[in-house]
Amino acid sequence: MTKSILTKTTLVAAVLAAVAFAPVPARAAKTELTLGAASADIGNLDPHFAASTSDRTLVAWIFGALVRFAPGSTDPASIGPDLAESWNASDDGLVWTFKLRPGVQWHSGYGEVTADDVVFSLDKSRDPKRSAFSGDYAAVAKVEAIDPLTVRITFSSRVPSVLGLLANYAGGFLVSKKAYEERGASFSRNPIGFGPFQVQSIAPGTAANFIANEGYFRGKPKLTKITYRFLSNTAARDLAFLAGEVDAAGGLTDKRWLQRTLAQPGTAVDSFDPAELAMLHINVTKPPFDDLRVRQALAYAVDGAQIADFRGPRFSRAGKSAVPSNNLGFTDKAGALPHDPAKAKALLAEAGYPKGITVTMLSSQLPSLETIAQILQSQLAEAGITLNLQPVEHAAWQQMIRKDLSALVLYGAARFPVPDYYLTQFFHSRSIVGKPTAATNFSHCDVADKQIEAARVEVDSQKQIAFWQDAQKTIIGQVCAIPLTETRDVWARKEKLQWGFKFEGSMSLGPLLTEQTYFAD
Amino acid sequence: MSGIISESPTSAHPRNGMRSFLSRLNFSTQAGLAVLLLLVLAAIFAPQLATHAPSQQSLINQLAPPGGKYLLGADQFGRDIWSRLLYGARYSLIIGFSAITIALVLGSFIGMVAGYRGGAIDIVLMQMMDVILAFPSLILGLALVALMGATVTNIVIAIAFTATPAFARIARAAVMAQRDREYVQACHAMGFSGARVLFRHILPAILPEIMVMASLWMATAVRTEASLAFIGLGLAPPTPTWGGMVREGFENILSSFHLALFPSMAILLLVLAFNLIGDGLRDAIDPRMKDVS
Repeated sequence: MTKSILTKTTLVAAVLAAVAFAPVPARAAKTELTLGAASADIGNLDPHFAASTSDRTLVAWIFGALVRFAPGSTDPASIGPDLAESWNASDDGLVWTFKLRPGVQWHSGYGEVTADDVVFSLDKSRDPKRSAFSGDYAAVAKVEAIDPLTVRITFSSRVPSVLGLLANYAGGFLVSKKAYEERGASFSRNPIGFGPFQVQSIAPGTAANFIANEGYFRGKPKLTKITYRFLSNTAARDLAFLAGEVDAAGGLTDKRWLQRTLAQPGTAVDSFDPAELAMLHINVTKPPFDDLRVRQALAYAVDGAQIADFRGPRFSRAGKSAVPSNNLGFTDKAGALPHDPAKAKALLAEAGYPKGITVTMLSSQLPSLETIAQILQSQLAEAGITLNLQPVEHAAWQQMIRKDLSALVLYGAARFPVPDYYLTQFFHSRSIVGKPTAATNFSHCDVADKQIEAARVEVDSQKQIAFWQDAQKTIIGQVCAIPLTETRDVWARKEKLQWGFKFEGSMSLGPLLTEQTYFAD
Repeated sequence: MSGIISESPTSAHPRNGMRSFLSRLNFSTQAGLAVLLLLVLAAIFAPQLATHAPSQQSLINQLAPPGGKYLLGADQFGRDIWSRLLYGARYSLIIGFSAITIALVLGSFIGMVAGYRGGAIDIVLMQMMDVILAFPSLILGLALVALMGATVTNIVIAIAFTATPAFARIARAAVMAQRDREYVQACHAMGFSGARVLFRHILPAILPEIMVMASLWMATAVRTEASLAFIGLGLAPPTPTWGGMVREGFENILSSFHLALFPSMAILLLVLAFNLIGDGLRDAIDPRMKDVS
């Protein structure tokens, strides 16, 4: 009896001790990460269709590419090896040969990544039926496997950034041929890549769960499990973060949000590229804007720094050039005019408008654009320019400005950080709104066509950059558009969560998780 | 008093209609009139009462709380809410009054002619009014403003258009009630023309009822204007309109609720004033309604 009581007591004590000491193992650094995303659900995890911010963020964890942007950077100059160990280009820049890293494994036992997979994947990327980004690959003539670890890509014409097309972004992601053929349509929710994390399960509208790819070629990820929660409601996401339910969450580019979030101890906020460059595009063919002096007056009248300050200096800064600052070859010496209302007035008087001018602008009712328009209105008034705003619902506004219905267009955008994209779409004469080849050239600008085209086919990268810089200077000098602000996106996180790299930018538009991401303790 | 109350106002001689009914206004009506008068004065003397220019931005003072330099605080652009409210009153009142005046004149005319002439004219006119009446007034106003563009004139036209059938209906019913009375027959016997009978003799008798309708619809007009501005179909910024101020305040409602609160209260006051006046007038005209309620 006594013995049995003793045993029982010992047992109880043992259980109590176990309970009491149970937290001990948990004191080791946490390895399970929970994120709160500003998204309602998974759209499509086939990387060649993933277009929403949230989907792009996720496919960047699952998939790899031939080459990759350095984690935390959107600078094309940072592109380095990923699956490809080395590469070389022919002298004319049209034939590129990539040597693959041996032994890289697909998730879930789909075997080694071979040249066949790369050929299959890039052919899929440029097939409009199987990819949303096929347009970017129009210049690819042929992708061939020379041997299981060598791929040769032949271009029919020069493209501004070959590595950009093959990096871990959009059509550059590589999918497993075997898995894609096996899974067919279900691949979009059940994808197979060779990145550091793989999909475990998806609870529609609630969360997507990921586990570490222990065989990742750069090493076993420090995190074991990721829960990506869909918290599209701003207030709910905020509360979840403040309550500690999620370790990091998508933020708002709003001063007051920042204040509220940073007031919480142990919180850090990351703001990252690509920044959206907001510009005021001026139709140079419509009077009175056909007079350069009037356009210059407008440029002197606006104050980008004040608008950036209004949005919040932590994530917004004054624009300086005709392309966003993370673009290759960006120059802050493009000649953007300083804020000087007196000079603006003098220029207007010189142009024959001593009493100032009155202009009308179609204005989107999207709150972020509407507020900037109202600040512009007030800034221009100081220089004697009356800006009448004609507010239009955002979707209608998008259509109307493409029909050339507004001489002034306030537009914010980020593009792939090779200037050819931004410059071509906004400032090349082929892209003028109303033309059959129209994109988003609202200003009818055609002054930098030559430089843009020359840069596109230039082999020497230094000369290419010089052309792009010349284009920026010409466009800003002719005041086709006035750079206003550059605004980055933001995420809040617990300070203990370490991305494993300096988080300054993300081509996937959200935090990149790598094998290095961990919780410090 | 009891004698007056038991007496139907329409049984009095038509010429005495207006006078007798003005004397029968109750306290809440007077309160409504006082609030309205105050708001009208605020609108008229906005330049004297305002402490800032209504569109003057001061980004350093954005979202300043009420008190100090800004009586009711400042909005997200650092514009003084008090000054914007005063100038905003002008738009609410001008749009409300003009729209309802137009609707009153037009609607009453249509209704009176339809009621007096009867027959085919009555059917055609009233069918047209019914078609307009079938649309919810806000949706109709919204469609018209979206179509024509948001200017003061267009908003007035849109609201007047939606309010016209209400006046036509009430005027028609009132005229039909008067048409067969002795004094009208006497006019006919004396050989007065139709127009003279209708506008010189019948109109004064039915005016009180129309006025009740007008003050109640004035409240609707103010609300419609504010609703249009709230959904973004109001006057273009930086024009201060109450509905527009609520709309802009909405974006910051979590951090600075005063942005939306004060214009909302202003709308509430004005709508309440018109409703009180309308209710009071109705009670004065038809005391039986008061007993029912």
